Amino acid sequence: MSMRGLKSLLLAPLLALLLLCVSTAASAHRFHFGMTDISYNARTESTEIVHTYTAHDIDALLLNLYGRQFDLSDEQDQAVLRTYVERQFWLADKDGKKLPVQWVGMTADAQSIVIYQELAATPLATTAVIHQGVLVDFLPEQVNTVNLNESGAVRSLTFMRQALEQRAR
Amino acid sequence: MLLRPIPCVLAALFAASSVHADDFQLQRVLVEGARASQLGIADSAGAGSAGAKDLAGRIAYRPGELLEVTPGLIASQHSGEGKANQFYLRGFNLDHGTDLATWVDGMPVNQRSHAHGQGWTDLNFLIPELVGRLDYRKGPYSAREGDFSSAGVASLSYANRLVKSLASATIGQDGYARTVLAGSPEAGSGSLLYALELMKNDGPWTRPDGYRKVNAVLRYSQGYANNGWNVTAMSYSGHWNSTDQIPLRAVDDGRIGRYDLIDDSDGGEARRQSISGIWRQTDADSASKVSAYVIRNELELFSNFTYFLNDPVNGDQFAQPDRRVTTGVDANHTWHMHRSATLSSDLTVGAQLQNDNIFNGLYDTRKRARIATTREDHIVETSGAVFVENATRWSDALRTVVGVRANNYRFRVDGDRLENAGKAHDTLVTPTLNIAYGPWASTELYANYGHGFHSNDARGTVATVDPKTLEAVDRTPGLVRSRGVELGLRTEAIPKMQMSLAVYRLDFDSELTYIGDAGNTEAGDPSRRYGIEFSNYYRPYKWLSVDFDAAWARARSQGGNPDGDRIPGAIEGVAQLGVTVDRSGPWSGSLRLRWFGPRPLIEDDSVRSKASVTLNGRVGYQLAKDLQLELEAFNLTNRRASAIDYFYESQLAGETAPVADVHFHPIEPRSLRLTLVKTW
Repeated sequence: MSMRGLKSLLLAPLLALLLLCVSTAASAHRFHFGMTDISYNARTESTEIVHTYTAHDIDALLLNLYGRQFDLSDEQDQAVLRTYVERQFWLADKDGKKLPVQWVGMTADAQSIVIYQELAATPLATTAVIHQGVLVDFLPEQVNTVNLNESGAVRSLTFMRQALEQRAR
Repeated sequence: MLLRPIPCVLAALFAASSVHADDFQLQRVLVEGARASQLGIADSAGAGSAGAKDLAGRIAYRPGELLEVTPGLIASQHSGEGKANQFYLRGFNLDHGTDLATWVDGMPVNQRSHAHGQGWTDLNFLIPELVGRLDYRKGPYSAREGDFSSAGVASLSYANRLVKSLASATIGQDGYARTVLAGSPEAGSGSLLYALELMKNDGPWTRPDGYRKVNAVLRYSQGYANNGWNVTAMSYSGHWNSTDQIPLRAVDDGRIGRYDLIDDSDGGEARRQSISGIWRQTDADSASKVSAYVIRNELELFSNFTYFLNDPVNGDQFAQPDRRVTTGVDANHTWHMHRSATLSSDLTVGAQLQNDNIFNGLYDTRKRARIATTREDHIVETSGAVFVENATRWSDALRTVVGVRANNYRFRVDGDRLENAGKAHDTLVTPTLNIAYGPWASTELYANYGHGFHSNDARGTVATVDPKTLEAVDRTPGLVRSRGVELGLRTEAIPKMQMSLAVYRLDFDSELTYIGDAGNTEAGDPSRRYGIEFSNYYRPYKWLSVDFDAAWARARSQGGNPDGDRIPGAIEGVAQLGVTVDRSGPWSGSLRLRWFGPRPLIEDDSVRSKASVTLNGRVGYQLAKDLQLELEAFNLTNRRASAIDYFYESQLAGETAPVADVHFHPIEPRSLRLTLVKTW
């Protein structure tokens, strides 16, 4: 296992523990978190993006946006979420030009929605600006954490209603 | 790509915490299913919800049949297509909607003190393509529901946005054609939903229905449904000829054919315009909703059910025009309280106000020309209600919903006859209690108790003489109480299968019965109903779903009527079996078998209506990504059955005396409709 993988493995339970503490301390309310993991895959030479959201939040979002429920295991229905995510999450280069983030796919179960995107043949260093507004327009208290994994070093950025756009470097 | 560890851990964390807090607004997430699970959500076995996909897959001859997604409900027709449907549910012949409260986008569809039938529910203004969901609830177990909700409530809501714009064109047998154009472009910081529907239908009748309708919806919405607002304008107009029910004796002896009619000038026209708005605000601790509406309804209706019984010269045709403006405001607020991780409580208070300003009448007519006035009234009916409801989740296994509702109605009738004019008012307080208990992973038990009511026609609350016979009549109470009790079970113990079972009893202080020759409803004796409902939805594979519903009911009048204790038209059973196949390829299809159970037609049960079975089917073919072809087939086996039967006296031209006979309206023979849908 590479160093990068090891760090990633260690970080995950630590982060989970932290969130769990917050969650237990104030169990009166359900917290609305999103997690976006951005890293460079040397094998494919692409920047890979993985989002994780709670299924309930995404389900409620689409229900209240369209007035109907969607089955996110269905490909046609996934297109509805894709349109939304592509509007709310984007990356830009140092000149402010939006980068061509491509939709790879998604998985859904009763608990979580995981979305996969990529920037083909683009190193992570190209990304200068991150806009992460998924669910923030729908849930005022939504907090999205973006983990930038550069050569094994992970930096976390926090996005919320007051801070939708941040510089990646 | 491989799953990353961080998302995995987060997902697990979310899984553990997702049942907390603002669950009161959340539905079950829909994964690999056309129907979301109601476990932990619904308070009774008879409550449920159908989504847009489920509704789109229905095979509906007429828009009112969308309500048949409610297990045990039948929507039928006894006249021209523009007329309100005839509904059956839970051992009731609901006539045109009495005791079935129907709502579209927060607007009541039932028209009270209507010229033709109490609670008149004309759903012809409904555009199925816009419906996002249909929620149903059977039995009087919710303090949120008021008038006409004893048998059940069906609440439809239009989507604020469509996933794609659509244009469709349908052509069918018997002069059927329909076209719909709908879309929802972004406009300003909101969305503009528009839809236009044009439809014509002649039906299989010897004298074509000539039903023509124009239907339009325009809505502007901002924000989300739970945090936002919308304003909607709707307009519907239609006109038609009616082939009303015909006497069986005339068909049997060959005087008329099965699709013939007796009075060739029956028919009507209807117009409905509305402006409505809904505002909602929701956060983790509270939710507020205010909706308001102004609806203008106009109806011209000409019927002849007894032919030449009352007037051998001019015939018995009568007109029941009704025009009204209905205004109303509904408001409610919910406080969400969290005591601990498992104990939470929602307290909701609400108020409903509704006013109807109605001009209606009953006239004798000949070929639609008035020849005498039976009555002519101006009715102002105003109602107010307040309710309090507490929904508490005591533990993961136990939930309760307790509510109380106070209703006040004021009736003012000014008419052409002083003896039948005046004012009346009535007040009724109705309690409700629901217990859901489910210590098991996938099974819940329910116990429900509640009072409901229906209002009587305002004209009956002040009447002292029968305008036809001039005999003295007793005034009827304004509000009539019902009492329901129910035990239910819902389980998903069998993988990929949702099953529910309900056993209920429903008592009514007074039954509304349909009076054929007056074309109106009359407050009658008390009644008691028992019933069992069994509902199943099975989706063994992603591409295959099977639903099966069966309902049985026993309805008896308790007034000590010497003729017998049966309630004419009260349905004894309903069953539906549906199979839907939707593989990932271009083909999809469904078949739906409907059993419309027997009904007694007369109090002593000596004349009965036979059960009927109909089979409908649909085949879809995806021509291109955005182009779909669909073939619908109705009454595939071409059964000759009745859509409705009545038993009463009538007299045909040439007959010297009244004849008590079955009068029926046949179901339409096999017919096909082909639809091309383009989306973009």
